[in-house]
Amino acid sequence: MTNLLRDPRDRRLPRIPDPCALVVFGVTGDLARKKLIPAVYDLANRGLLPPGFVLLGFARRDWVDGDFEQLAKEAAEKGARTGFREEVWERLADSIKFVPGSFDDDDAFDQLAQTLDDLEASHGIAGNAAFYLSIPPPAFPTVLKQMQRTGMADNSVSGGWRRVVVEKPFGHDLPSSKELNALVDDVFTPQDVFRIDHYLGKETVQNLLALRFANTLFEPLWNAHYVDSVQITMAEDVGIGSRAGFYEGTGAGRDVLQNHLLQLLALTAMDEPIRFDAESLRVEKAKVLSATHLPKDLAAYAVRGQYDQGWLAGERAQGYLEEDGVAADSRTETFAAIRLDIDTRRWAGVPFYLRTGKRLPKRVTEIALVFCKAPHLPFAKTDTEELGANQLVVRVQPDEGVTLRFGSKVPGTAMEVRDVAMDFLYGEAFTESSPEAYERLLLDVLLGDASLFPHNAEVEESWRIIDPLEEHWAAGGKPEPYRAGKWGPNGADEMLARDGRTWRRP
Amino acid sequence: MTTLWDTTGTAVVKALSAERRSAGSVASGLALTLVVVVDEKRVGEAEQAATRAAAQHPCRLLIVVRRRPDAPEPRLDAEVLIGGRLGPGEAVVMRMYGRLALHAESVVLPLLAPDAPVVTWWFGDPPDLIGHDPLGVFADRRITDAGQAEDSLAALLQRGQDYVPGDTDLSWTRTTLWRGLCASAFDTPSEPVAHVHVSGAPGSPSRALMAGWLKSRFDQDIELVDSEGPGLTGVGFDLQDGVQISLNRRDPRTAVLTRTGQSERVMPLPRRELGDLLAEELRRLDADETYADALGAATGVGSLDDAPTTRSHVWQDPAAAADPDPALTVS
Repeated sequence: MTNLLRDPRDRRLPRIPDPCALVVFGVTGDLARKKLIPAVYDLANRGLLPPGFVLLGFARRDWVDGDFEQLAKEAAEKGARTGFREEVWERLADSIKFVPGSFDDDDAFDQLAQTLDDLEASHGIAGNAAFYLSIPPPAFPTVLKQMQRTGMADNSVSGGWRRVVVEKPFGHDLPSSKELNALVDDVFTPQDVFRIDHYLGKETVQNLLALRFANTLFEPLWNAHYVDSVQITMAEDVGIGSRAGFYEGTGAGRDVLQNHLLQLLALTAMDEPIRFDAESLRVEKAKVLSATHLPKDLAAYAVRGQYDQGWLAGERAQGYLEEDGVAADSRTETFAAIRLDIDTRRWAGVPFYLRTGKRLPKRVTEIALVFCKAPHLPFAKTDTEELGANQLVVRVQPDEGVTLRFGSKVPGTAMEVRDVAMDFLYGEAFTESSPEAYERLLLDVLLGDASLFPHNAEVEESWRIIDPLEEHWAAGGKPEPYRAGKWGPNGADEMLARDGRTWRRP
Repeated sequence: MTTLWDTTGTAVVKALSAERRSAGSVASGLALTLVVVVDEKRVGEAEQAATRAAAQHPCRLLIVVRRRPDAPEPRLDAEVLIGGRLGPGEAVVMRMYGRLALHAESVVLPLLAPDAPVVTWWFGDPPDLIGHDPLGVFADRRITDAGQAEDSLAALLQRGQDYVPGDTDLSWTRTTLWRGLCASAFDTPSEPVAHVHVSGAPGSPSRALMAGWLKSRFDQDIELVDSEGPGLTGVGFDLQDGVQISLNRRDPRTAVLTRTGQSERVMPLPRRELGDLLAEELRRLDADETYADALGAATGVGSLDDAPTTRSHVWQDPAAAADPDPALTVS
């Protein structure tokens, strides 16, 4: 029977998931400690977790519940966005459980399955569980097979819902991603698989959809008639840190371009979905991605770079080749800039320039639509010398917001037009501080809302787009070095200069 | 900060725009205007709550203090601040003396942020009919607090009789966390309820609204149980299959949720500060239909679906109404 106390008009009451367990594999890892556990605490603090909620950790440690609770408490105190309150923790603490074991240990998985069954009685979770695979990709098959063996992944056996959350990378090329998708979709049902791209959990990315589809102002301009080009930038100021092992075989193309940047491109370029639900959004994103392709002349439109030593934010930064664990002759790229074209009526002829890199001057992610110049300017040429192209910039992070750049008259007797900016800053106009991406996405998993998760069709389309690029790069040549603290190698600037454009400085 | 003594509304508008200029881009985003109506002796308390709410919802804060409406000469004193003691946004504190207190809107109207929603909050007793106060007539949302009245239940009844969509009451806001916990208790598939009781202090408007809400949702009578209080202290449900669910306050921060057959659970249920309650009210700026249902059921006024949708100003001269003083009858 439906819950009479829930009423869609009653918007003070938040959407709360069904009673359920969140099972985290690899709970002692970085991601779990820095993001997942704080996100669980923040959700609890905001009152968004059901009374019957259990956080179940699984890892290869000789631990009991209390040890894990201690680790979780430290992680929450350190990483939580909202203030730490003892009463909230008290409520969470008696729902934190731990099962020790390694991934190839049958007994441990039997015990895990048994624990989940027991929780049904003691915490009323009614068979609902979400499994978060915070583990290295090579361990996926083992863990998934264990879940299949114990029947943990089966909705009908468990009598509730069973969902799985997978982190990127989703494979390393099209064949491997198809293989992984087939495996995950075989063990779980496809609609129960949630692939996390944490960029999509960011408030501004969701706002992009509101901006485009809730307003009349922008949509008429959102096409090749008015848009000259689109620049999507994701810059990081940090180097690879201690992740050399992972990064050496991956590079900026697979690490960022294939997932985050192509998802941002899809949201920017897609047509209006019929409804704001997971299925309609996925259809539109997959559609626009399937029309997206690299230019034929990859030598001219795909630039890769590798950071060299240099100075960044007042500190000396070492070069990529000097980082621990990096081969002295490594050809892994830490910067990638490419041009993509979309063959649709809306976007034909509009280049999408995507760039990402490490050790760039600052950490910033933004989407910039650069508009065409006015076809005719009735002013004298000298009056508009300082007038650039109009721009609409969606700042994804930091300083989430939207900026509109346009020309305005400079006060004075002369008719002089110069660029000015109209700024909307999230923090200023809105109310609560935006939730962390993981907080939002975790809640969506527990609620079963897949709108903000890329579908396997999108993942496969993205690999189809990126594979020729990786092949081209693998075939020969070395990445162009750039000094740490610069906006990438000269090649990236030359690439835009070839098209008569320049990169925006974010 | 600019302080203006014995000034005019026009000078206040000018001072505000001068302050905005010198503050640079600090205060460019304004989601709404919050008008606070308060007595002189409680200004500090109201300022504190409004500041807390304004930190979460950038707004223009207009605090109206009506003093000595019987003063022979009307007079306006104002204080204009941006990013100062009243939070990060813009704030104007206005003290109005004499007959000006009855025409506060003449100062406030030009100060409203352009085309942004207006919320009026009476900290203290609101007028019997909201329509008596022009500051309530132009507001999109009107916040009262029956909990502060001497006879809270009578005050609640008054709000029910005077209800217009967009009205809300802080004693309703105080039930939100309770309601959230009750609703999530019923997310587990349950049999229909057979009997419901709500316990709390006898005069508590929150207890009345909680019972009103449950009555409107379950469409059955709710038993009211008296307790020491303060306010609302517990809710209990008997389901048709004999299962009992109850939620009882344990201390000012937590409540205990019990359900037959399951272990007791301690849930966070903090008593919230005034500023946090106010912030919750500012989060949504459209009419709250659920409140209307609960208020109608709690006060016995019945369905408020047909309540008028707008208010107009009803002129009332306190001087003429109370003890007529011939010196004051000229408006």
